[in-house]
Amino acid sequence: MPQLRDSGTRTLHATEPVPSAEMDGFCRIFGVETEYGVAVTGANKPVDAGQVAMTMFQPIVSRSRSTNTYLTNGSRLYLDVGSHPEYATAEARDPREALAQDLAGEKVMRNLALKAQAKLRESYGEHATIHVFKNNVDSAGHAFGCHENYLVRRFVPLETIEHQLLPFLITRQLFTGAGRMTSDGFQITQRADFLDEAVSSATTRSRPMVNTRDEPHADPDSFRRLHVIIGDSNRSQWATWMKLAVTHLVLCVIEEAFRQGEPSGFEQWAFAAPAQANRAVSRFLDTPDAELALASGQTVTALQLQRQYYAAVESFLKQHADTMSTSLSNTSIAEIMGEWNSALEALAQHDYDALADRVDWAAKRRVFEALRHRRPNVTFAQLEQLELDYHDIANGRLYGSLTTREQMRQLLAAQAVEHAVHEAPADTRAALRGRFVEAALASGVQFSADWTHLTVTAPERKEAVLLDPFSAKPTAEFESLMDTLQ
Amino acid sequence: MPQQFEQPQSQSQENHEEDALAAVETNQQQQNDDQSDVLDSILDDIESTLETNAEEYVNSFVQKGGE
Repeated sequence: MPQLRDSGTRTLHATEPVPSAEMDGFCRIFGVETEYGVAVTGANKPVDAGQVAMTMFQPIVSRSRSTNTYLTNGSRLYLDVGSHPEYATAEARDPREALAQDLAGEKVMRNLALKAQAKLRESYGEHATIHVFKNNVDSAGHAFGCHENYLVRRFVPLETIEHQLLPFLITRQLFTGAGRMTSDGFQITQRADFLDEAVSSATTRSRPMVNTRDEPHADPDSFRRLHVIIGDSNRSQWATWMKLAVTHLVLCVIEEAFRQGEPSGFEQWAFAAPAQANRAVSRFLDTPDAELALASGQTVTALQLQRQYYAAVESFLKQHADTMSTSLSNTSIAEIMGEWNSALEALAQHDYDALADRVDWAAKRRVFEALRHRRPNVTFAQLEQLELDYHDIANGRLYGSLTTREQMRQLLAAQAVEHAVHEAPADTRAALRGRFVEAALASGVQFSADWTHLTVTAPERKEAVLLDPFSAKPTAEFESLMDTLQ
Repeated sequence: MPQQFEQPQSQSQENHEEDALAAVETNQQQQNDDQSDVLDSILDDIESTLETNAEEYVNSFVQKGGE
């Protein structure tokens, strides 16, 4: 698909080869895109949620003349089709940094919602309340996403990644699933049941879970962007950090195996029917030992499969300890492995409460059980409501109560998140984008941006192209663009 | 601590171990109590949420589009 190559950046690349450290090593760019859902309760007359989302974006529109903009922290903030506010984090080299940027997104959304709520109350009464859900399903069964992006080395064919990564992604939900109260019982994922239709209508079964959208936002000869759409939105800081961190390790094994022309060991784990396996994993609490059918004809449980991936990563790390230790700037590989191991241990022992401080579904489950104990006649609708409340980043009570009472692990201090609201990651291209947006806003020029381009559109058009997401070093073109903003 | 099994334990040692075991149990009990106290406080925190019309709340959330 040649149209996916950034035509404007091809010639530039010819003179600037990608540094070999990035191609030969294991460093990576991480990004998280989160779609939020909007609802209103307590209004004294009917109110349209789409209109409310527009009101939320009013400050953005008056600033940028568009509902699609980039912020000084390098992130993208926009209103998606169907009035979904969406936030895409700036490029991060470390899962912790991506987490900080994602939490900054929650803060940005919350501020927009509370401003809009004050305005809404002028016309809809003092009890009008805006809910902004960081979740993945509404009451009518519309599913929406939290998408992870990983920059991967292009020499590995996408088919290989899809094939070898999907079984891992499906079973990863044992500790990254956000959980959901359904009429079919409490499931550990939000939308396993909703990926069905997409799966049956696709030519390749795995496509809707691992998207093949190939816009690398980087040198297209060296990298591609892996777009993972199967994950849930997480409130748990640990879960957001963990899903990126562990997936990074598995991707490193796949990349290195391909580099060496050797098998990764993951070839044999492809599911016979991924969507069916996904639904079975989502019902883990009902049948933790469910045997999942593999394409090879064998069967395996979700936990056994995670253990296989864990063992493969562990043995890979023994051989690549040095290069791997420098692959992430702020997360130790030993820490990831320790967390992964202890999560799998607790699951194996069915000790779900031990995970209630870090796994979203386990946190919800613990509260639901306590509530059922206190109020045996609690209704299904009340549990559904409480489950939504957990995801409400604007006016929700449950998650805030859990953190205030120190029942959820916090990986980042509040000031680190506040910092990320204003500042881009310092060690990626995002730093340059952040500087540009800040200067452009201060000077009052008209500007636009995307992941690779920074443009002053008026009074005089001028542009800088930033092809290397790993580089925070200003290019001559960037300096020249910044000079016009003085 | 294998050496403890190699020689007969003195009475005082046994008592000591029983005390230690009892302490662990008390500790565990204490932790469980703390946990249920915390859960109680959390349920108190969300009590007002449950007083609203749950069905209306849930049904108010209908989103179009996405992904």
